[in-house]
Parts: sequence; structure tokens; C-alpha cells
Amino acid sequence: MTAAALPARQDDDARASFLSAGTLVGPATVFVAAGLLVPLAILFRYSLNRFEPRRMMVDAFTFENYVKFFSDPYYTGIFWTTLRVAALCTVACVVLGLPLAYALARTQTRFKNILIVLVVLPLFVGNAVRAAGWMTLLGSKGFLNVTLEKLGLIDEPLQMMFTEGAVIAGIIAVNLPYMVLTLQSVIEGIQRQLEEAAFSLGANPYEMTKRVLLPLALPGLLAGTILTFILGMNAYATPVLLGGPKFKMMGPLVFGQFQLNNWPFGATTAFVLMAATLALTATANILVQRRYRR
Amino acid sequence: MAQGRIDTRRLGRFALRGVASLSMAYLLLPLFFVTWLAFFAQEIPSFPPEGYSFKWFRAIPGNDRFVSGFLLSLEVAAIATVIGLMLGVPAAVGLVRLRFTGREAASNLLLLPLVVPGIVLGIALYVFHVEAELMTELPILGSFGGLIAGHVLIVIPWTVRLVTASLVGMDRSIEEAAQSLGADRLTTFRRVTMPAILPGMVAAAMFGFISSFGNLEMSLFIVGPGRTTLPIAILQYLEWKIDPTIAAVSVLQILFIAAAMLLTDRFVRISRVV
Repeated sequence: MTAAALPARQDDDARASFLSAGTLVGPATVFVAAGLLVPLAILFRYSLNRFEPRRMMVDAFTFENYVKFFSDPYYTGIFWTTLRVAALCTVACVVLGLPLAYALARTQTRFKNILIVLVVLPLFVGNAVRAAGWMTLLGSKGFLNVTLEKLGLIDEPLQMMFTEGAVIAGIIAVNLPYMVLTLQSVIEGIQRQLEEAAFSLGANPYEMTKRVLLPLALPGLLAGTILTFILGMNAYATPVLLGGPKFKMMGPLVFGQFQLNNWPFGATTAFVLMAATLALTATANILVQRRYRR
Repeated sequence: MAQGRIDTRRLGRFALRGVASLSMAYLLLPLFFVTWLAFFAQEIPSFPPEGYSFKWFRAIPGNDRFVSGFLLSLEVAAIATVIGLMLGVPAAVGLVRLRFTGREAASNLLLLPLVVPGIVLGIALYVFHVEAELMTELPILGSFGGLIAGHVLIVIPWTVRLVTASLVGMDRSIEEAAQSLGADRLTTFRRVTMPAILPGMVAAAMFGFISSFGNLEMSLFIVGPGRTTLPIAILQYLEWKIDPTIAAVSVLQILFIAAAMLLTDRFVRISRVV
């Protein structure tokens, strides 16, 4: 084959239906657009409708559902609780996740793959199963209460289940793998020699972390923080199972509204949740990047 | 001076190992306790256990709710994975090998279902099914097909992500060599590209399968009456009570997922793909 013949041939092939962008990428793109973007658009439209108990949903074009959400202390209370829980969990995930991610990225053992599997396994096992573990640990006759009683530290069982603390403990465990995996892949891309250089110039581990590791790992740290925050805001199974019926976060609220057949208000709560999550993560993104550039 | 520096480094390493082990233990803590509970002799989850027994595991095959939940989850995940691969693999090939306008947008869109929270995705699909049913007058709401379509949506991003990664890592000159030896593009893809990205496709299938199998939030909105996947069955049972029965079911789920992951690990290093 001559060199001149090759480009011409590729041109022909590019026009052939087999490898055109439309046939390759088209079906999946259309599927996701129809299955994700269209539903989100319909959901937004529903949030502008009106709810009447007997007729269920009435076509309208009103923002009264949003007004109702932000003027009722019950709903704003749930909103702030969700924000607080998500923020606390995110901070805890950074503190616990960074050392584990660093250790996994830099380990030399043969068992590295096993260690990664151990981080990923809880992630895939599902939130309900892990909540069952926390229930065993935190119940009134659970391991923690019984152990504390045996040690003589408490006289009667503490109420640990169905508290905000239990929910926070549960969500931290749910979100931690995401933080660890995100950070680990970024730290692996940082040259070890840079750390050694800092040490040989007299830095102690704290200074090295602050002035070399963290700035270089910042994109990963930001991505991990945003991911865990989004997941914390939208948690469902953990607050339902560990928080009980009285403790409310946005996720269970959205589901509850739909069970009550109040679709317009359910759609509104879903959109408030999504918009708040997106707005906060975008702000964090901009703030960190601006500070990082200086 | 030099001595002091070495010591802070040793101290730092020590602290690092300490906190890293602590967070690893924290991650595994719930799995450990649910496994412990599954072997309790008594039904009430109170410590210390009165004895140990296998009876809760033996009772599972007779429990219709969990058996049918497991079978439905298996069926949905298998079908959704196959469809997801059929849509996702060509898309990944197109995204890596072709240059076209809107490529970046298409790539972002295909990864989006992984980022949209499950609860929002579920509610959006629900209203979509309502509208679709009104328009077409077909039974869509709560149907098996609707459930599958939702799960395909969460398999696609895994497929695109993992197959893309293995295509990017592939040496392109091998394909060019095949073509210069006279193979057309289809043959090149079948005989050269496919075998090279097979590990990525296996990983995509496994991760897609696992995330579909374990999906809870989205499924909660779109399962029909009388149709319960395993994660939903577990959630509903736990809302009512915690006992060794549900712990035993959880242990089986943990073992099932762990087996799937170790199987995946034989094809691709898991540390490379997640």
C-alpha cells in the first residue's frame, strides 16, 4: 500500500456508517438526554404547578411552592439540618480521608490491591446494609452501650440511635470511600521526589504537607470535597434508618412528599435540594480556585 | 539537627499510619458488626450474644421476600448491564477515536447520571414515567421496562468511563499497523481494538452490574407495586426492626458483592479503575 492511498482510504471509512460519530455516540447520548434531561425538565415544570388535595395536581405557573418552602420554619429547619450534617460529614471525610488516601497512594506492599478492595467494598455493599451494622453497634443494648456499661462509664444506656450523631457517623462512613479514592488517584500522580526535596530542604512532615502535598493535591481535594458534600446533602437511607421518623433531612422529605402524592411540592423540594447543592459546590469551586491562583 | 529531622519524619509516618488505620477500621466497622449479628443465637440484637448459630442463614432460602428480591435485582442488573454495554462501548470508542463538534458536551452528558443524586434521579424518572404514560397510554409507570431503563442510565457512565480509560491507554500504532496490512476498520476493531480493551469492558460490566444491583434511592421511586429489589427489601425490613435474619441477608449481599469484585480484580486491577 502506498502512503498516498492511506489518507484517502481513511476518508472513505470515516464516511462509512460504521464509525461515524452519530452511530457510535448517538444512541447513548440520546438515551441519556431522554432519560435524564427530559425528566429533570418535567420535574421543574411540575414544581410550578399547584396542589389541591382532592384534584391532586393542577396546572399552573406559580412560584408559590418555593415561597411555601422558604417561609415555613419546618422546611427551612430541615434544610439547615441537612446543610449542617453535610458540612460536618465533609470536614470529617477530609480529616479521615487524606491520611488513608496518602498511605494507600504511597504504600509499597503487595497487598495494596486488597486494601483498595477493602475501601471499595463498603461503597458497593449499599447504605442499608451498613446502616444495619450501625444499628447493631449503637442500639440501646448494642455493643457500644453494653461495653460502656461494663467499663462502669455509664449507668444506663445512652440514646445513640435516632440521633443526629448517629446519622453523621453513618454518612461519614458512606462518603469516606469516595473521598479516599478521589484523593488517592491524585496523590499517586504527585512525584515522590517533590516530597523528598521538601524534606531535604529541612521541612518537617507538617510543613511538607501544607506547602507541597496539599497545594499539589488541591484539585483532588476539591473534587473529593464536592462529591462528599453532594452525597451528604442527598443522603436518604442513612437518615431514614439511623435518624428514625423524627429526624428529617431533605432526601427523606422529597420521598415523603411523593408518598403523600403532593407532586408539585415534592418536585419543589427536589429542586431546592439540587439547586442548593449545585450553588454551594460552584461557590466553593470558584473560591478555592481564586485563592489557589494567588 | 539531622537527627531531629529524621525523628519528626518518623513521628509523621507513625501518625499517618495511625490515622490511616483508624479510618480504614471506621469504614469496615459496620460490615464487621452486621456480620457478627448474623451469627447470634438469640433473635434480639443485644450484647453479649447468648451463643452462636447458623440457623438464620439456613432460614433465608425459605424467605420469599428476600429470595424474590435477590432474583429481581439479579435480573434487572444483568439486563441493564448488557444494554448499558451495547450503548456505552460504541460511545466510548467514538468519544476517544473521533473528533466532532459537541464531543466534550456528549462526554459530560454521558457521565452525568453518576453525579445526579439518586433521590433526584428517582423522582425525575417517576414524573417522566407519569407523563410518558399519559402521552402514550402504555403502562409505563411502575413497569419492568421502566425499571430497566432507569438502571441502564446508571450503567452507561461506568461503561463510558472505564472503556474510555482503556482506549486512551492503548497504543494506537497497533491499529495503524493492522490497517496498513490491509485490514479494514471493522476488522481492525474486531481483531485488534476489541481484545485490547476487553479488560476495560469486563470492568465496565462488573462495575455497572454492581452499582445497578446495589441501587436503592432511584429504584425506590420507579419500582411498581409488588416489585421489590433486594436493597429495597432490606431497607423496608430495617425500617421495621433489626435482627439476625436481616443481618444474615446482609452478609450474603456482602459476600456476593465481594465475590464479584474479586472476579473483576482478576481481569483488571481494581486500584486502576476506581
